[in-house]
Amino acid sequence: MNMDKPVRRVAIFALLLFFGLMAQVNYVQGSQAESLRTDKRNSRQYADIFNQPRGQISAGGEVLVTSQKSKADDSRYGRTYKDGPIFAPITGYFNGNATGIERAYNSLLGGKDKRITQQRWFDTFIGKKADGANVELTIDPDAQRTAYAQLKARTSPGRRGGAVVIDVKTGAVKVAASWPSFDPNEVAPQTGEKGAKRLEQLDDGEGVIKPLVDNALSQTFPPGSSFKTVTSALAMQKLGASSSTTVNTGQLILPESGRPLPNSHDSGSCGGAASLRGAFAESCNTTFAKMALDMGIQELHDGAGKFGFGQHVKLEPDLFTAESDVPVAYTDANGKSTPTGRDGTARSGIGQENVRATPLQMAMVASAVANGGKIMNPYLVQKVRAKDQSELYSVSPKEFGEPITGDQASQLEDMMRAVVTEGTAKNLQGMRIAGKTGTAEQGPGNPNARWFVGFGPAQNPRYAFAVMTEGPGSGAGDAGPVAGAIMAKVLQK
Amino acid sequence: MQSFGEQIRAHLPYQRRNAASLALLVFAMVLTLSAFAEVGLARDGNIPGGLFIYGGGLVVLAFIAYFVQTKFTPYADPLLLPLAVALNGLGLAIIYRLDLDTSADRKATAAAGKKLLEDAADAPGQLIWTFVGITLFVGAVLIMRDTDKPDAPLSFTPKTAQRYTYLIGLSAVVLLVLPIVPGIGAEINGARVWINVGGFSVQPGEFAKLLLVVFFAGYLVNKRQAMSLIGKKVGPISLPRGRDLGPIMVIWFFCLGVLFLQKDLGTALLFFGLFVSMLYIATQRVSWVLIGVGLLAVGVFIATLLPFMGHVNQRIDIWQNPKPYFDGGCLLKSGEVVPVNPDTDIYKKYKKPDVISPGYTACQALGGEYSDSAQLMKGLFALGQGGVLGTGLGQGEPWRTPLSFSDFIFDSLGEELGLTGLMVILLIYALIVQRGMKTAVAARDPFLKLFAGGVSFVLALQVFVIVGGVTRLIPLTGLTTPFLSQGGSSLMANWILIAILVRMSHDARKPAPQAIQDEGMTQIVSTR
Repeated sequence: MNMDKPVRRVAIFALLLFFGLMAQVNYVQGSQAESLRTDKRNSRQYADIFNQPRGQISAGGEVLVTSQKSKADDSRYGRTYKDGPIFAPITGYFNGNATGIERAYNSLLGGKDKRITQQRWFDTFIGKKADGANVELTIDPDAQRTAYAQLKARTSPGRRGGAVVIDVKTGAVKVAASWPSFDPNEVAPQTGEKGAKRLEQLDDGEGVIKPLVDNALSQTFPPGSSFKTVTSALAMQKLGASSSTTVNTGQLILPESGRPLPNSHDSGSCGGAASLRGAFAESCNTTFAKMALDMGIQELHDGAGKFGFGQHVKLEPDLFTAESDVPVAYTDANGKSTPTGRDGTARSGIGQENVRATPLQMAMVASAVANGGKIMNPYLVQKVRAKDQSELYSVSPKEFGEPITGDQASQLEDMMRAVVTEGTAKNLQGMRIAGKTGTAEQGPGNPNARWFVGFGPAQNPRYAFAVMTEGPGSGAGDAGPVAGAIMAKVLQK
Repeated sequence: MQSFGEQIRAHLPYQRRNAASLALLVFAMVLTLSAFAEVGLARDGNIPGGLFIYGGGLVVLAFIAYFVQTKFTPYADPLLLPLAVALNGLGLAIIYRLDLDTSADRKATAAAGKKLLEDAADAPGQLIWTFVGITLFVGAVLIMRDTDKPDAPLSFTPKTAQRYTYLIGLSAVVLLVLPIVPGIGAEINGARVWINVGGFSVQPGEFAKLLLVVFFAGYLVNKRQAMSLIGKKVGPISLPRGRDLGPIMVIWFFCLGVLFLQKDLGTALLFFGLFVSMLYIATQRVSWVLIGVGLLAVGVFIATLLPFMGHVNQRIDIWQNPKPYFDGGCLLKSGEVVPVNPDTDIYKKYKKPDVISPGYTACQALGGEYSDSAQLMKGLFALGQGGVLGTGLGQGEPWRTPLSFSDFIFDSLGEELGLTGLMVILLIYALIVQRGMKTAVAARDPFLKLFAGGVSFVLALQVFVIVGGVTRLIPLTGLTTPFLSQGGSSLMANWILIAILVRMSHDARKPAPQAIQDEGMTQIVSTR
């Protein structure tokens, strides 16, 4: 009996085993390699990120974030943030993990992005590490500094404030300031254990203060009367209203509780009847609550959605804002969902109840008004250049949406100017800005969220803004001047 | 009809291919020396001093082996020696490269006054073992004579072993049992497969592997006629008689029992595959393969039920889904995996100064089984880092994987040499195996045929089990990677294996004996 045949078959089987191994190695090193390299458990990516300099982050020609060796004999690079707390809402921090632009542009800053490695393919081939690319922000550094200082001065101790300015034609974010902030230098790689402890401390925060969560893009507040801009826009679309329509500004009895909804004052335009323009300028609650009741919460929710409510607005890859919302139903901490009733709908129309918005969201509302009805998608990064100055990325502005028509936009623009010329914000005259005030109640024990949302210059607007500070008092008195100061700096150029 | 082996023999050139062998050997040397040079150039821009010690040492050894081979087995297969040298050289280079990093680590830990690493890459040690391994190769080639002169005084041929089949089977068993004998055996990295001999740790299983091949070959050559022809036919398969099956089942159960006690599943899998494949070669009956695979399934099923073998089903679970187990995972009775890595709250809860492994303690509290996939995942990360072309020798970070120099050396090579390098390494293994199989086909004697087929297949299977394990093709079980892994026992056993194949290929390929025609007419008598 001859054994050649089975030996041959076993030999073929052995070859098949090797083919299996080859196929698996090809699969792992070929198609899975990228996801293995970027797996969050893979410590390699964290180890060598400290061993080479990261790209710089700059704004308006000013270098804000740099990498350098902490000590001459140390192979690790640290990270230095100029005016850290002022720019932290945009730059974020970096300590291996990252937030903000440090996170969104991690692969480019760290030199690992395909756009760099393909360009420097020869370096990659011989194993030389590519240098990190430099990121140029849209931010106006002087205006950002002014915004930070103003917010700090105008916000009540232990409370929060946020300000955003966007270029209405492009969507470029010029200012995104938050008070209080944190200093990314305190948690940068060179701080080691101490930085890790500090980061935990910052993460825990104190009371409502969460320093790592900025109040311009990542935190929502009740917009109060500033939301009337949205309600008015929807009334023009759904109820056929215009700025000259005569509206009832008198008493409104809430349908469920039977209690009256108060106006801030019952004189002037709010005395019984006025044009929509007048009611808007003097911010008569009852008019807008009635409009909300006429439209219903679903219409309000859907209409606000066109401005960006109900979604995390995408600023940059991997960088989203908090979700602003006009909820149709409110889910409490226990997971119990309550539909927004008729009274709630009325209060939603004036930006109360459970309506919440980020300052950026309200600036987007204002930019629709200032830009003929169109909102441009907000963004933070203008350009990314490789170390040899070649351009790796350059923004191309995109439209976010067109929630209102050009005609409605110009009517609303006029109404917002009236707020300053003859309405609730007469104290801001001479500051070349127009907007809508908002003074939202935040429940017992909490101070008001004071808003001023608008655009500048008042004629032919180029920038939209939203300023929110927490404290006693009103939007006109405590947010308006902040907006005025910031816009003065922005419009200097 | 001519058999396949006769066809091959008819076409064998019966030529000495020593020039080819030399050319390939020089190429293997160039490969190894370049690898050493690259390590040095990448790390500090100089040709390293190690090049002359390690590379030079290997060159001298390999050429001695070559001259012994040409002198004593001139018709030997020309590929086997150069292929083995190339693998051994690459292994030495990557261990040298890992040693540079672990030496630095050691200095740092020593300076910090901490406990030294127990396991570390040890290039000088590996060079010594390479020396011992190649010396054994030379010795084996010198000692073993041609199989057609079995009666010459003091001669020893591969066929001699056939006479001592049962003695060799017994010694294989003794070697397997040694590690669990108290006082001699030692447990390293969770597997009790080591014995301490005069300060050295030896893995007797590596040698038992070769002895078992001999035993199976010897036993099956005697019994194969009976086993393949006599038996009850049940449906499409015919079952062998109990008396044919009996002795082999006894030794097989014994092996498996020992291996389960040693918790060395890789070797169990290896012996099992060896057993089935040799049965198949001997009897040509598929029913044996089916019975064998069925027994394996039963064995694995029993292993998953036994509480003390708890890590078997976890290994399978880790293989399917390694991510939740990274740095510690807990398999609950419900089949759910709860991560207990240092980032989890439950880990922090149990993190107290007197708790050695908080993850393990936490898992005990949950009533689950603790396991850790960090090693496997880190090995895969190394492969991912390597990509297609690799980082280049000396430029990656393969030392991040635990046991990067032994069990995971394939992943270390994958990081620095990339997919390209790994394909070359796998091809080298495949070539050695196919050359061994060709030797088996060309061999004239049934015992030698089984012997050569068995050792070739055991090599293929060993590569499959360990490389498949570290690349997540199959569940991970610990085995050495032949010629690459750091460790003396493995190197010695594999060099002996190559020596046996070289000797047998010489026998198979040399010309048939010539008639002595000095006086009168003499019949030519073949000794086939």
